[in-house]
Amino acid sequence: MPSASFKDELLAEIRNLRAFAISLSGSVTLADDLVQESLLRAWANSDKFQPGTSLRAWLFTILRNIYYSNYRKRAREVQDSDGFYARRLTVPGDQESHLDLEDFRRALTMLPVEQREVLTLIGASGLSYEEAAEVCEVGIGTIKSRLSRARAKLVEILGLEETSDLPIERKVRRAG
Amino acid sequence: MNVIHANKTEEPEQSAAPDPKAVEAIGRALEAHYADLVKAPLPAKFVELLAQLEAQDRVSDAQGRRDALG
Repeated sequence: MPSASFKDELLAEIRNLRAFAISLSGSVTLADDLVQESLLRAWANSDKFQPGTSLRAWLFTILRNIYYSNYRKRAREVQDSDGFYARRLTVPGDQESHLDLEDFRRALTMLPVEQREVLTLIGASGLSYEEAAEVCEVGIGTIKSRLSRARAKLVEILGLEETSDLPIERKVRRAG
Repeated sequence: MNVIHANKTEEPEQSAAPDPKAVEAIGRALEAHYADLVKAPLPAKFVELLAQLEAQDRVSDAQGRRDALG
């Protein structure tokens, strides 16, 4: 029987697990089913988790496997994450690099899922390259190349390379 | 680890890295996007599910002990 602390650790990871599921599937409904199944599977296999390793990465691996074996087809039919998000404003940042969050989300959905998941794991979920490589069952070299392709693709979709002559090159004004 | 051979059908490597400023902007947008997802209201069913699983295990655990005692 899993220990009480294992349950608490799972509880602490649910939000991140769900965020990853929504990023992967593009659907809140599917994501919730995925999280539910993942928690059941994690509970039943708690003895296989190695203490001292990342529980987050372990849970992501479980969820990702379920997604690719049972949900990927359905995900193409159901895209219901629009309207889910809290913020519709631009991302705060220095004046050279304002990005409309809606535009960014749309661009993100245009990436191949293999690139989107790597970008999410490294850039948002806080996994290391090694952990991401384990979750995705590929080598670190593949993780790095998918990451750079994802970034380049987003730059292209968002038209960020065209502005490099103008505002991006501008010297950043030092405040104060 | 043999990336080049494993990804035969994939596009060639980027010749030039994107502008660091653009990469930074993307990184910030990604974090903001993900932060929205993480802080979204969580359906109660997940917490309930774990409580249920724990309660079930406790029952079957106690059952097992009773069976062992005969």
